[in-house]
Amino acid sequence: MILEIVKCEGKRPLAPRESHYTREFWSKLSTGEFTSTRCQVCRKLMFPPRQHCPMCWSKKTDWVSLSGKGKLYARTTVHAGPLMFQQHIPYSVGIIDLDEGVRLIASIIDGDEKIQNDEEVQLIVLAYDDGPLFAVRKIESD
Amino acid sequence: MNRQAVILDYAARPVGRLMPRPGEAIEEFEQDILCDLIIQTANNSGVAREDIGSLNLTSPTPATQQLGFATFLASRLGLRCDARISDINNMGITGGLAFDQACEDVSSGKTDFALACGIEFSTGAPAEMIMDRGIRVVGDVDFQSPFGLTPIAWYAFDANRYMHETGASRNDIAQIAVKNRAHAALNPLAQYRKPMTLEEVCAQRPIVEPLGLFEVSPVGDGAICLMVSSEENARSLNKPYVRVRGRGFQHDGHHQIGNHYHDMLAFPAASHTGNVALTMAGVKIDDINLAELYAPCTITELLVSEALGLAEKGKGYMAVLDGEYSLGGRLPISTSGGCLSRGHPPGLTGLYGLAELYDQLTAQAGERQVRDATLALHICEGGNYNLALAHVLESMQ
Repeated sequence: MILEIVKCEGKRPLAPRESHYTREFWSKLSTGEFTSTRCQVCRKLMFPPRQHCPMCWSKKTDWVSLSGKGKLYARTTVHAGPLMFQQHIPYSVGIIDLDEGVRLIASIIDGDEKIQNDEEVQLIVLAYDDGPLFAVRKIESD
Repeated sequence: MNRQAVILDYAARPVGRLMPRPGEAIEEFEQDILCDLIIQTANNSGVAREDIGSLNLTSPTPATQQLGFATFLASRLGLRCDARISDINNMGITGGLAFDQACEDVSSGKTDFALACGIEFSTGAPAEMIMDRGIRVVGDVDFQSPFGLTPIAWYAFDANRYMHETGASRNDIAQIAVKNRAHAALNPLAQYRKPMTLEEVCAQRPIVEPLGLFEVSPVGDGAICLMVSSEENARSLNKPYVRVRGRGFQHDGHHQIGNHYHDMLAFPAASHTGNVALTMAGVKIDDINLAELYAPCTITELLVSEALGLAEKGKGYMAVLDGEYSLGGRLPISTSGGCLSRGHPPGLTGLYGLAELYDQLTAQAGERQVRDATLALHICEGGNYNLALAHVLESMQ
């Protein structure tokens, strides 16, 4: 499933580092694919992608593609933030439970109405000048 | 050897502004303030310098120029510790951990007298700069920090989810700030002591929605020192002391959130830790007369009170509204004023909480004295209560 890619002006406020291993995630993300890792031994899916399975310590993990669909678990809007986020204030962030069972943090892009907890959301890619981040928006009923 | 550890005495500065503003003349260096408190604690306890064998210091903030602070401090005081000198830094349980280690050194027989102390300078540093570090503490720097979550933003998630699940309003939860301010009004160590109303709390600008300025902790400096000894030594000194009857520790395995779905409001580490400490003390939660709960936001106090079993899950706010946790209520919580009003130098909050319980259990709490206080519970935390450390204290007058 290919995520919607939204162009964003400027650089990311705080750019994530990339290791040889996590580069896979960010380069796939920039093409609209949301991935993470699954342990080959205990079969657990995890997020963020990890080189070592936190459940069984195996070093054998496979990259898998995720749907990007989930539900909003909780949200907040930050009005007092760190220096590098000053120009983005206020900004909204949520805890997202993906359908595949993993939990993650993402920015929230509200439409005309604020997204409420337990509502279905869809991941999108925010394409900044220096690389991608991810956010959620309300799921579109088509 | 497994000796009973006790709190013998403490000395502290009120939480507030100790740090000079940029460009302002420096009145006192950090070490001078702390040396003063350590000497005061030792003198009040009747303990000689050469008998102190363990110094457990909470790490100073990055604003402190002097590094290697623990041994620097020991050299300034001529302390030649033969049990331990350590510099401790582990999120919000830092102060509790310094105390825990002091107790450990005494109870294992490594030393007869141990110090748990620290100083934090924060007010002179811009809040935005403190938050630059904060977002790297409470999130995976590569997958969570890039979204700009400050430490209190995580508690805002809790408040948002709690309101969603229970139907409690922001006002219901904000009542905790009013209660704690009323307590702080009676505490000379508190940073904010002017009583305030619920209307005033809810009229403040939003900081991390749904929480506003008075529902989150203020920035404050602090300095404090506690003296721990064995009970036999305390008896020979012929002064009131407080016994450390129970202790519990746990990490729930998460760093703020886990890999998979979980109930973020359950605070399982707090629940477990509280039970372990109570069981070790041989008492039940209903036997506890008062509690100091590490809670940087209103919602945090509510959730930890529920996790400890003081109220049914999702109903703790009703007990707050009924005054059960106010002075004079069934089980007063945060009689010091808590993080919100006593103030919150994060690494020291555990020590200030323990100091409050010392005052209460030795009947030295003045106007905020809880009548017949004999058993008290202290708990501090790291993350979103992923890490918890609890102590049960008992009055021995």
